[in-house]
Amino acid sequence: MTDTARRPVPPLRRLRRFVRAEPAFALGLALGAVILSVALFPGLWTGKSPTAIDTAAALRPPSAAHWFGTDDVGRDIYARTIHGTRVTLSIVAGSMLISALVGGLLGLIAGFAGRATDMIAGRGIDVILSFPPIVLGVVISGVLGPSITNLVIALSVVYMPVFFRIARSGAMSEAARTYVEAARSVGLSGRAILFRHILRNVAPLILVQYMILFPLVLQIQAALGFLGLGVQPPTPDWGAILEQGKNYILFAPWISLFPGLFILIAALAVTLLGRGLQKRLDG
Amino acid sequence: MGAYLAKRLAASVVTAILSSLVVFWLVRQVPGDVVAQMLGQSGARGSAAEASLRRFFGLDEPLWRQYLAWVWAVLQGDLGTSWVRGRPVLDMVVAAFMVTLQLGLMTLAFATLIGVPLGLIAGLYEGRRIDNAIQAFNLLGLSAPVFWLGLILLMAVSQTLAWSPPLVFRSPGRDLGQNLQILILPLLSLGILQAAAYSQFTRQCVVSAFSQDYVRTAVAKGLPMRVVFFKHILRNILIPLVTFMGLILIQILGGTVVIETLFALPGLGRLLISAIETRDYPVVQGALLFVVFTALVVNLAVDMLYHVIDPRVRVGG
Repeated sequence: MTDTARRPVPPLRRLRRFVRAEPAFALGLALGAVILSVALFPGLWTGKSPTAIDTAAALRPPSAAHWFGTDDVGRDIYARTIHGTRVTLSIVAGSMLISALVGGLLGLIAGFAGRATDMIAGRGIDVILSFPPIVLGVVISGVLGPSITNLVIALSVVYMPVFFRIARSGAMSEAARTYVEAARSVGLSGRAILFRHILRNVAPLILVQYMILFPLVLQIQAALGFLGLGVQPPTPDWGAILEQGKNYILFAPWISLFPGLFILIAALAVTLLGRGLQKRLDG
Repeated sequence: MGAYLAKRLAASVVTAILSSLVVFWLVRQVPGDVVAQMLGQSGARGSAAEASLRRFFGLDEPLWRQYLAWVWAVLQGDLGTSWVRGRPVLDMVVAAFMVTLQLGLMTLAFATLIGVPLGLIAGLYEGRRIDNAIQAFNLLGLSAPVFWLGLILLMAVSQTLAWSPPLVFRSPGRDLGQNLQILILPLLSLGILQAAAYSQFTRQCVVSAFSQDYVRTAVAKGLPMRVVFFKHILRNILIPLVTFMGLILIQILGGTVVIETLFALPGLGRLLISAIETRDYPVVQGALLFVVFTALVVNLAVDMLYHVIDPRVRVGG
């Protein structure tokens, strides 16, 4: 080994190299970092209240005082969009976590146990799959009534089949591998093999799927909000702001423009991140 | 092929029955049924009127008996009568479905005509500037919320062209001009998303075809690029491209829910939402039955088509 190989590369040049090698992934990381900081610390981005009503300043176009304009009761759209980031994204992330845990666990068990367990779980998954995702979301949240809990239930059910299938096929192919046979022959129990060995090999697949589905769930979350079936005002939520803005689209388009743009950017960031991750996992 | 078809069909029927059971049970879990909504605030709770209305709608029967009665009627082609509008559910659902289907087919045509050529070009010029531009379009098209795109388009045309779509929907048979005028914006907003999805998928197909042995052989033996592309690549990726069409169609038929609400189109999605709001069980059940049935048929058709186009997948299984 020569000396030059050991010399550390300056961080700035490493960053430049990384950006040049994977510009899309780098853009995803940068956008993702900004969005995360908005979601975690909205106070850093705006000092205004997202719910303060000021009817004297209703339906104002974007200006120095109100960067994104104001809505029909004079609330600041910039503050609402910034504070809505955490509301919207945590609902999406949380529902998907439930979806991945429940769907993934069921899939692992179904794939590993096979037979009756697989049959029963598979039928249930088929039922969910027989509805187009957004229709399922509309029906569940429409029937249960608009509340955040019901929204989370609806969103976590919609793509559960995808996690189920990924985990199931992963578990099935892993179960046929030699290392599982070896583990069994040294006397490990089925449960230990499943959770100590197979889970570790299936988890990355589920993580990638989580990233790929995230933008789709975000779209459904926003669509349900837009239909009035999601988060209810005055809580700031991107979809709910769009719902409120749709009646003013012709004379106050700024109400709708900016929250939609935020949805687009968030979806874009996660898509780029997901693709970058997938590329790394595929090798 | 016959045995495979029978197996698929049987599985679909089982799924359809289970789905209908879930739907039937789900819509009845809501607090406040149609009777409660009819009586409203009038304070008639627990009165003779409430009991007789419940009996009239069959809501006093046990759930399994209501379900069997409904299934029996459906098998005879009777989806029941709307509890809110008093019209036959079948008529309402079919009329609404035609609107959604027209929009769906138009969107599919748009997505195919725009998306496939874009994807082919991007795949053919992988890594070049034009590929990057098309990929950027795909990414943005897939990231933008459909209804937001619709809103932006609505605003853009009304401000630049001083034009806005008509408010009342007309069927293409009655007034084609007005029909197309009201459908143009929904078509564009749905079409851009689906064109992006189709283009991305097509690009992937082309790119992965280029690394296949048969393409390498064709290039190595000195065939002109034009021949390799049209005679070898295009023929081989035709199957996944056709399959993707079915997937898109299902997506569109489901995805119109929001767009129909935004543009006041009397389609299946809007019918479903308004029926859920008014607790009009027969309409909810009828509309969902239609949605599930359509998705099953399209899936089955794509599967069959797959077997017809590609001899390699004709394996009994």
